[in-house]
Amino acid sequence: MDVELLFAAASQILNPWPFFLLFIGTSLGILVGAIPGMTGAMLIALTLPLTFYMDPFNAIVLLVAMYVGAISGGLITATLLRMPGTPAAVMTTFDGYPMARSGKPGRALGLGITASFIGGLIAWITLATITKPLSIFATKFGPFEYFTLIMMAMVLIASVSEGSLAKGLISGLLGMLISMPGVDPATGMPRLTFDWYMLNGGLKLLPVLIGVFAVSQIIKDALDIGQVPERIAMSSKGMLMSAKDFMAQGVNLIRSSLIGTWVGILPGIGASIGSVIAYTAAKNMSKTPEKFGTGSEEGIVASEAANNATVGGALIPLIAMGIPGSVIDAILIGALMIHSIQPGPTLFLTNADIVWGMIAACLLANVLMWLLMTSSVKYIAGLMYLPRSFVLPIVMVFCVIGSFALNNTMFDVWVMLIFGVMGFLMECAKIPLGPFVIGFVLAPLAEEKLRSGLMMTAGDFSPIFTRPLPLFFTILAVILLLWPIIGDWMRKRRASRK
Amino acid sequence: MSRILISLFVGLSLLTSPVWGAWPEKPIKVIVPFKAGGTSDQTARVFQAAMKENNLLSQPVTIVNVGGHYSIGSRQVMEASPDGHTFLLIHIALMGGEGSGALNFGWRDFEPVAATGEFCVLPMVRKDSGINSVQELLSEAKTNPDSLIFGANLGAINHLAGVMLQELVPGAKFRFVQIGGGTANYTALTGAQTNATVLSGAEVVKFTRMPDGSENPEAQIKPLAYTGAARFDQLSDLPTMKELGYDMEFCIKSWWFAPKGTPKAAIEGFANALEASTSTDRYQKFLESKGFANLFLGGNDLQQDLQNTWTAIEPVAKLASKK
Repeated sequence: MDVELLFAAASQILNPWPFFLLFIGTSLGILVGAIPGMTGAMLIALTLPLTFYMDPFNAIVLLVAMYVGAISGGLITATLLRMPGTPAAVMTTFDGYPMARSGKPGRALGLGITASFIGGLIAWITLATITKPLSIFATKFGPFEYFTLIMMAMVLIASVSEGSLAKGLISGLLGMLISMPGVDPATGMPRLTFDWYMLNGGLKLLPVLIGVFAVSQIIKDALDIGQVPERIAMSSKGMLMSAKDFMAQGVNLIRSSLIGTWVGILPGIGASIGSVIAYTAAKNMSKTPEKFGTGSEEGIVASEAANNATVGGALIPLIAMGIPGSVIDAILIGALMIHSIQPGPTLFLTNADIVWGMIAACLLANVLMWLLMTSSVKYIAGLMYLPRSFVLPIVMVFCVIGSFALNNTMFDVWVMLIFGVMGFLMECAKIPLGPFVIGFVLAPLAEEKLRSGLMMTAGDFSPIFTRPLPLFFTILAVILLLWPIIGDWMRKRRASRK
Repeated sequence: MSRILISLFVGLSLLTSPVWGAWPEKPIKVIVPFKAGGTSDQTARVFQAAMKENNLLSQPVTIVNVGGHYSIGSRQVMEASPDGHTFLLIHIALMGGEGSGALNFGWRDFEPVAATGEFCVLPMVRKDSGINSVQELLSEAKTNPDSLIFGANLGAINHLAGVMLQELVPGAKFRFVQIGGGTANYTALTGAQTNATVLSGAEVVKFTRMPDGSENPEAQIKPLAYTGAARFDQLSDLPTMKELGYDMEFCIKSWWFAPKGTPKAAIEGFANALEASTSTDRYQKFLESKGFANLFLGGNDLQQDLQNTWTAIEPVAKLASKK
């Protein structure tokens, strides 16, 4: 790490104009992140034409700030309305909302914000220190490594569903089924499309998730529109994490951040999966796994630390090798190319100032995000008490716009509405939504990677057990699956001994 | 408000169009059946900017990205009203899909408008593979058929190129594996997960060259040949497939289509605007940064070129879809 260049870049950002851009970028990012349906990718794509007229350093500062802000803002609506502002905040709804409903919205937001900050910070340290060796190592990550890593997260389907295991499995399998139509990853041919060409592109993550979580919640809230949660005096107590909190959450924070960073480095996986994996790990390692889904502090921390860590993680292969780790990174590469900067293995040599600008912006945006969000928690939490008859229509409009803007087709809007009704019906039948999301997000990736791997080995499954990393992930998955049972058994034994 | 806008709009268009009722009467929509940010999208936007800056059309051009599978946007254009205000920008994927049976329509269901700029691909291997030429690559694929792993996006451009390559030597066979597009294949080849792939000229320059054009010593991969008709400027030491004695060209052009039944005036008008754009500075710079060769085809030349491409690609696409 070149401290001098880093300081130079940081001090350049602290000039009035770049700092203004950093401020605008972070605030807009948080705002867009908080609105269900609107994502950071959309904001950055819309901003791109404006950056044509800026110098490349400033353009990168603005875009990176938006990226950091957008992934953080999602926790606001996830916590207060149980609607994930961005798909990456889905896991936060499981514990953030119950905690907010139980009268601690400030605490729930505060935990999420600080966890986001720590996650961003840990990923940033990785970014600034070991970019190159890490991204070279990531190229060795083959289909079997991906597949077993994803299987480890899939285990969550069994363990995340409260109540009936059968209902959890129904939900998980339904999610997997919904992910199947579209182009078969192993043949390139359409499948399960019933000869209807609109289905050739499959059902997209954004409209399905927004439908199942936001629209179903809107329907539910609209049915008892007059109901407003009991107003509890907001105090700043508990908003900032105390030394005691850090002691209690330290391991979880570091583990979740490292998981998020690593998932960010792997191209094409994304922030949603980072938080799913971190949440699984946190739940399975927890002393109180039964609290997950009812307002667990660990759940909020794991999800938010991990999804913010993916931002820094995803910048690692982008800077070191020109490989975009996420959709937003692909747009960032486009932004650099417009300024005739070729991201790739030689970026460090040709444009060190831009690279360090990116790294410094990532850090400063994180700090700014933390300051902005912490200082406004009080006002943000007040949103929860706004009359729903004002909030819901606005959210609904953004859901429709966001789904349409994804591909410029009405098809996605219909998908969103249909899944909204479906999510609502599932809730009525007490079928948990968590396993549905996990099945939907992970199954296509697991399938593609497994089938790629089997194509490489001509149908031989043995690399799962013979290669070191896949074997490690498989063993870890089995332990995670059995841990709740073993833990239970050990607790009972201890109790009976007494 | 909207009424004022409409009347303003109508007024303005009356002012700008030479004869009322002549093409174009309203803004022209170009559908790009891929996500924003990709190569096809960038191409469309460069033409859009070039037309606007040089007043090549009396009406604005708007670009609509239709994501998901490329068949969705393509079909939208096929079914659009043939009034001369909707166009499609696509490439060889359209023929690949028809040939493999993934699509139940194809290039003959559209009116061809123009073909612009082309790029060709390069077969790639690892530097430590011991393979130093196309001949060595193909003879390895023949001696040990189905053992060299060829990274591709199955059914897409790089897959078709791989199939065309192996068909040059009877009995040669790669094992095609789903990896994805250029960047994903660069990653997989660098990580030694695969043994071969094809990349575009611009990708090869980006991943294996230093800014001054010399070789990047850290690159793990190398190109073997260029599949264009002539050598690639930025990698001029590299022979073409033709020079090596192989009858293979694999170049991708941007194809502009209109719905069947679109009036001739509109097709010619838009083709002329496209042709005029190709000589603007903006477009030339774009070609350079992308490693594209300048090219414009319209009318009968275009029809002939499409027919030739189809003759070459249909059997390859059929083979590619066979398991």
